[in-house]
Amino acid sequence: MQFELDEDRALLKSSTRELLEKEAPVTTTRPIMETSPEGFSRSLYAQLAELGYLGLLLDDAAGGSGMGPIGLAAVLHEMGRVALPGPYLELVLSIETLRMAGGDVAQRWLRDAIAGEKIVLPAARESLSGVEPATLATRFEGGRVRGLKTFVAHGAAADGLIVTTAQGFVLVERPASGWSATPLETLDHAQRFVEIALDAPGTLLADGQKACEIAGAVGRLAAFGAAAFLLGLEERCLELTVDYLQERKAFGVPIGSFQALQHRAADMLLRVESSRATVYRAAWALEQDPGQAPLLVAAAKAYCADSARLVCGETIQLFGGVGYTWEYDPHIYFKRVKTLEQLHGSSREQLEQALRAVGV
Amino acid sequence: MDLRFTEGHERFRAELRSWLRTHLKRPWIEELRDPANDEDRLFEIRRAWQRQLNEAGYLGMDWPREWGGRGATAVEKAIFTEETYRADAPPIPNVLGISLLGPALIHHGSEEQRRRFIPKMLSAEEIWCQGFSEPDAGSDLAALRTRAEADGENFRLTGQKVWTTFGPWSDWIFVLARTDMGDRYGGITFFLVPLEQPGVEVRGIKQISGESEFGEVFFDGALAKREHVVGKLGEGWRIAMTVLSYERGAMSLAYPAQYDGFLEDLIQGCRENGTLSRPDVREKLGRLLVENEVLRSNGMRNLAMISSGKAPGPEASIEKIGWSEYAKRLSDAALDLLGLQAQLKVRSPHARREMDWAYEALWCRAGTIYAGSSEIQRNILARRVLKLPAA
Repeated sequence: MQFELDEDRALLKSSTRELLEKEAPVTTTRPIMETSPEGFSRSLYAQLAELGYLGLLLDDAAGGSGMGPIGLAAVLHEMGRVALPGPYLELVLSIETLRMAGGDVAQRWLRDAIAGEKIVLPAARESLSGVEPATLATRFEGGRVRGLKTFVAHGAAADGLIVTTAQGFVLVERPASGWSATPLETLDHAQRFVEIALDAPGTLLADGQKACEIAGAVGRLAAFGAAAFLLGLEERCLELTVDYLQERKAFGVPIGSFQALQHRAADMLLRVESSRATVYRAAWALEQDPGQAPLLVAAAKAYCADSARLVCGETIQLFGGVGYTWEYDPHIYFKRVKTLEQLHGSSREQLEQALRAVGV
Repeated sequence: MDLRFTEGHERFRAELRSWLRTHLKRPWIEELRDPANDEDRLFEIRRAWQRQLNEAGYLGMDWPREWGGRGATAVEKAIFTEETYRADAPPIPNVLGISLLGPALIHHGSEEQRRRFIPKMLSAEEIWCQGFSEPDAGSDLAALRTRAEADGENFRLTGQKVWTTFGPWSDWIFVLARTDMGDRYGGITFFLVPLEQPGVEVRGIKQISGESEFGEVFFDGALAKREHVVGKLGEGWRIAMTVLSYERGAMSLAYPAQYDGFLEDLIQGCRENGTLSRPDVREKLGRLLVENEVLRSNGMRNLAMISSGKAPGPEASIEKIGWSEYAKRLSDAALDLLGLQAQLKVRSPHARREMDWAYEALWCRAGTIYAGSSEIQRNILARRVLKLPAA
């Protein structure tokens, strides 16, 4: 048995950290957060495309690097550490949908998406309640998509959308009209969500049984990816907290010498390490033990969401007053946790998935 | 990454399962339910079970061949505990002797000590209890004050040991005692002491469950022979600390496997009382299911680190806090969701067949205290892993 990453993926992880620490430290997030209309750096995403990050899951023949779910976990784990803004996970999900759908149109968009030439994003949600309706209101009829999709991450920047409709997955290329995006203001200033009203021509990518298969697999990948990103967020928050506990003095001693705070830091460590074990075990299952994947991915998303909320919340608390300021970093992490808790399957949904995975 | 078990490990598991199917006549809960089994009788069932395991070569598997070993790996040991927990086999009485004293004798004992003590310990002919903790030396074990004073070439022990599991049934005790009052760590020596002698009194301690599985041992000039010192004088602390590390990973798969069974009964109970479809119940059950998978993930990671020869990390403390705190959440939830039925003791009318929640609800309270309380484990994590400064 071996828990550590193999050579290729250890290298992927360390080179990703190097790249992001140089090109996308949290200091670069601040101007994006405060002023950029798109909410991410186009040049960084071009660089990610060029370095092959968008084709991580595809094999060599399809223009990818075959790094598999373990490789994807390593990359998203690193992106979480810098709270990278932008639609990386969403792009990977769209690419996986296109790959599974197959066909000429999907192939063309897949090539462009991997190369970073087109931004294609999923538009799935219809409900603000956190639970999607059993029957979607968005429909694909007579070659046109009509409906309203909400919380589309970075939708304003999209060249194309993969729209989930009652008839299956439909690709909509940004038309001149029939596509109206309204920005949603959320608690996280670093993310750009829009609501999109559609009445536009589209191409059916998959329907029936195939659409169900894609929805299951891509839904699982989304939950898994979010869990890996949450692991990165909480891991970095723990590091920030431990540094602060060592530097900050009160009553003449570092506050980290107080047992009340030490025990809270120990609980944070327990959460982070348990999240790590669970995320990478889920990654292993996705690659090598698919029968276990539904349970383990649901466990990873539900547990990491709970843990990251606790860890990043404690970070604000243990920083004290400065933890509540714009100037210090904890809020950037905390806010991302808040949206990721809900997106890609909320904890409530994941707990239900876990029970179903064991036949309960 | 590779979380697969090897073919050899899978073969070992299959053989063990089939051995358990043939030899385990009744699961432990059935023995507990049987009104003919008083505490002494239950102890003898445990002793007989240990003898069977030993005859089949399942004890001391990772020890040298001449002491019953068969070159087993940490993973096989973990599989052994996992499968015996899953099968609800009787807990063996010499568990502390085999996990702590055995390795101490093999690594630090004399040839004569090994020959004299190991075979009878494995066969459960002699039962051992552990004399480490004292009334004023629990979490702070090095504060122990039991004295060993020279008497000719031998020693006389004076002091009190407490929380000695199976003390009332034991023949021998392995004791940490002071041969030097001035040296906190270097003044501690590791002794083997027979309980059947003048100057030793063993009393049971009645626990919150009503049983007296634990005891306390009083020494008043009891004889400890020079030939029964393990290692050299003053090496006791070092020996005790190193043997504790030999048990790493042994329980990594066992607790999650045991909790699988607990969860199954809890879910079945909710099905029976008609609450399984309620959203609040499903959320609780889902969270418990997920958290048990988290425990198993930690366990597999821990085991993988051990079997690939990595230095011990924070895993042991995380695992200990993890399973012991989880056990409390699980039985609190069960007593809530199953209602009054879960209060019924195993021999009561209407008690559940597969699970003794009434006992578990109390016993789980001990888990976060013994073998390094949750608070001590948090100290270890904060100081040794996070390197936070001492007060």
